[in-house]
Amino acid sequence: MGLLRRLLVSATCALACAADAHAADWDLALDLRAIDSDGRTSFLDNGLGKFRFDEDHEGLQLGRLRAAWTQPVGDVFAAHVEASTWDEDDKNPIDLTEAYLEYKPYPRAGWRSRVRLGAFYPPLSLENRAIGWETPYTITPSAIGSWIGEEIRTVGLEGQSDWLGTRRGQSFDVQFTGAVFGWNDPAGTMLADHGFAMHDRQTTLFGRVGSVQTDLTKPKKELFHEIDDRLGFYLGAQVRYLDRAVLNLLHYDNRGDPKAQSVELRDMAWKTRFDAVALRVETGNEWTVLLQALKGDTAINPFQPLLWDFDSQSAMVAKRWGRHVLAARYDAFEIEFNDHPNWAGSEDGHAWTAAWSYERDDHWRFALEWLRVESTVPARTVDFGEPPFAAETKIELSARYTLHGGF
Amino acid sequence: MSSSSQKIIRSTVNGAVRVLLCALLCGVGVPASAATLVVHVLKRDGKPLPGAVVTAEPESSPPSPATPVKAIMDQVNLAFLPDVLVIPVHSTVQFPNSDAVGHQVYSFSSARQFQLPLYRGKPYPPVQFDQPGVVTLGCNIHDNMLGYIIVTAAPWFGRTDAQGAWQGRDLPAGKFRVRVWHPLLNEPREMERSVDLTGDGSVEFRLAKPLRPAPLSGRPRSWDY
Repeated sequence: MGLLRRLLVSATCALACAADAHAADWDLALDLRAIDSDGRTSFLDNGLGKFRFDEDHEGLQLGRLRAAWTQPVGDVFAAHVEASTWDEDDKNPIDLTEAYLEYKPYPRAGWRSRVRLGAFYPPLSLENRAIGWETPYTITPSAIGSWIGEEIRTVGLEGQSDWLGTRRGQSFDVQFTGAVFGWNDPAGTMLADHGFAMHDRQTTLFGRVGSVQTDLTKPKKELFHEIDDRLGFYLGAQVRYLDRAVLNLLHYDNRGDPKAQSVELRDMAWKTRFDAVALRVETGNEWTVLLQALKGDTAINPFQPLLWDFDSQSAMVAKRWGRHVLAARYDAFEIEFNDHPNWAGSEDGHAWTAAWSYERDDHWRFALEWLRVESTVPARTVDFGEPPFAAETKIELSARYTLHGGF
Repeated sequence: MSSSSQKIIRSTVNGAVRVLLCALLCGVGVPASAATLVVHVLKRDGKPLPGAVVTAEPESSPPSPATPVKAIMDQVNLAFLPDVLVIPVHSTVQFPNSDAVGHQVYSFSSARQFQLPLYRGKPYPPVQFDQPGVVTLGCNIHDNMLGYIIVTAAPWFGRTDAQGAWQGRDLPAGKFRVRVWHPLLNEPREMERSVDLTGDGSVEFRLAKPLRPAPLSGRPRSWDY
């Protein structure tokens, strides 16, 4: 991670020096929550609860403190930095979730290319469409979105090519994406550790996440490290029909070497691959239907091959009335560990979410969400002597104030 | 209605008045048999189509375009305003950005290719449009922004009203080529008709296919960053 840190620092200095008279855009947002939760001990506190805010974290809580900065460099380059504070338990009081340099030349004859270098999200979720990689429909993203925010980040180089048919009088745009990346070898460790969770906390680039263990002296996990010196890649395609429908496909493979280990991190290179598909359809009277599915596996080989198959599906319906949005969502998720479905590491669960949000103006957003997760996790018995089944319910009220401007 | 749209309408009306004045002063004169052409544009279901662009030009002689205008296409709430602008050839258009965020306007349409590097406010001189055609505008930062400038050499042009109607006044007798365009048209062929005017006349266009869905609007700023 030292190299990554040096690269980011050098890139930021270079940008600061190169920045010319083009004005920067910035955002500053504080999101506070009021929580009512009967959630089991959270995965963030070494438990197997599915929520970020468990029954010991009720009342007033910090949702997110977020600062974002976009600095144009010349005409077709821009640097974008997202920094956040999620909770006081993280390694750094404020840390980055994304930081990249983007090259976006003007389209020519209907084609446009885009290159991003740095740390950012792969184009996967059609739900996390709002600033700060948040979802405008609910407070908590789907199980798929929660996992991506927790474990997946592209630290590398991504290229995109867009066919802008809508600029040529046609109804469709098409986009192709390819990327190579490193520093994401531990991706998969959280799925094997505590399974899918339902939360909006995005792991920061230099931060850490709790892992399930009874020995609390062990360190939490850091996810954005290079362990095996092998590059991963993903390939994706997106088809858009006007601004009404989007179909997104992505194949991801971090090409981890399952035998590579890091003594310092107490972790291995997890070989994680998945395919993700998402479809979002929006109607003229502001109904949105969003379907997402993800299926993959992750493997390590410390002394024998260990393989976890995972999949998740999500269906959401939302309706917008002016600045109000009502949304309902169903999530299903499953992990099968090797051929031992009853052994720790496997799980089977589903979740219901209902949310109302009100974006009063450019500054204030209020949201109220009810979320219930039912899951069967054999590790609850193996690790903690509890029944494997748990039903957890949380009601969350969010008040977010955003300041934005240019300088 | 915003002040900028009023200005645009005013400039279009002024342009038409200037055409008429120019015609009178130049001695071309309006024939005594000056006619009014009414064009109705109907959707496939028979309901009127407002906002369709109508142009009428004489078939026999090369058209003498209307006097160029100075128009404005603003950018408000991450959208071009108006979303469609009709101007005579050699007109200029100013592209102010009234949003708090920067925009980067481009066109790669063959009728006029240009780029306005990232800006706020009104830092650039107006852009001149010398070739007839449809110029599709985009913003390189916000892909949902889509606007159109119809540059026409036709002496008579305008957009249909709420009843789907447009009136061309003081046309001389003769044959005219009438064209209709709309950003949401989904027709297999160009909407074009030849009209022989001896007195007042009217022509009706009816779409063969449903329109494409109109762009979604009114989203909060934080969506689609």
